[in-house]
Amino acid sequence: MSRNTSMPVKKVTLLALFTTLSLAIYAIESAVPPLVPIPGIKLGLANIVTLVLLRHFSARDAALVLLARILLSALLFGQALSLLYSLAGGFVSLIVMALVMKLLQKNLVFLTGAMGGLAHNMGQLTIAFAVTSTGGVLAYAPFLILSGILTGLFTGFCAGFLGKYLPPRPMT
Amino acid sequence: MRKYPSWKKAATAITVFLLVLCLASLLALLLPPKRNVSYIADVFQNGNLIMSIPLNDTTESRTFTVTGENGCVNEIQIRSDSIGIISADCPDKLCVGQGFIRTSGLPITCLPNRLVIQLRPSEDSGANSEDPFAVPDAVSY
Repeated sequence: MSRNTSMPVKKVTLLALFTTLSLAIYAIESAVPPLVPIPGIKLGLANIVTLVLLRHFSARDAALVLLARILLSALLFGQALSLLYSLAGGFVSLIVMALVMKLLQKNLVFLTGAMGGLAHNMGQLTIAFAVTSTGGVLAYAPFLILSGILTGLFTGFCAGFLGKYLPPRPMT
Repeated sequence: MRKYPSWKKAATAITVFLLVLCLASLLALLLPPKRNVSYIADVFQNGNLIMSIPLNDTTESRTFTVTGENGCVNEIQIRSDSIGIISADCPDKLCVGQGFIRTSGLPITCLPNRLVIQLRPSEDSGANSEDPFAVPDAVSY
């Protein structure tokens, strides 16, 4: 972490604020009972924070906040196995979103969100496939593809609207 | 043709990619409404297994008769996903009234002719069709 000692205090504070925000969103979302009886399908509202960070900060900052949020949420609510799923889904989605956002030059955030949601679910499905090593989990793929794209679109729209009220680059 | 900025091309490509994936998964969800389990029909006479017929390799229905030792006759019809008795010479015709079965629930029995037809899942599909949704119960964000 010696690299980060050069990070300005204001930025550290902002990133900590974003971490708290995404953790709070995550906690509220976990408290809401799931709408569909299929595990793995939820809105993923905490992804809004990742998208905003990717768009207005940098991929490195988004990765830091994401990692902090996942570790903290696993510590507070989670189990060891769900940590693995969260890490896989979160970071596959982050990498894909960073690439897509660069391709789209930060336009049309909802498309980035949709790709991120899709990548998140595919990452989790891959882990589920590796952990259980049964082909049965692949029966989930259509559900997860659809839900990933739809929820990703939603979080993408949210992040897009939020972006209108944020300066293009609050901190670099 | 107008020159689009490169991100618009990327946006079009991504949109098409997502739409194709959506359509493909919708098709995958809607097309196979029946469960992916194939059954084998076991026909018992006097408690002895006299024939086993896998149900999934017949596409059109076919009919055959089973004759018992004291001359009683049951006509059995096999369809692509079900099996049933369509006529019998027994007095009560209860077996005909049981209709066609397609799952390994209740067997069809013809008591006067001592005939039982029962479906069991075939071995190859039985292993993972036990619960196709066997996934860990902790998938979270």
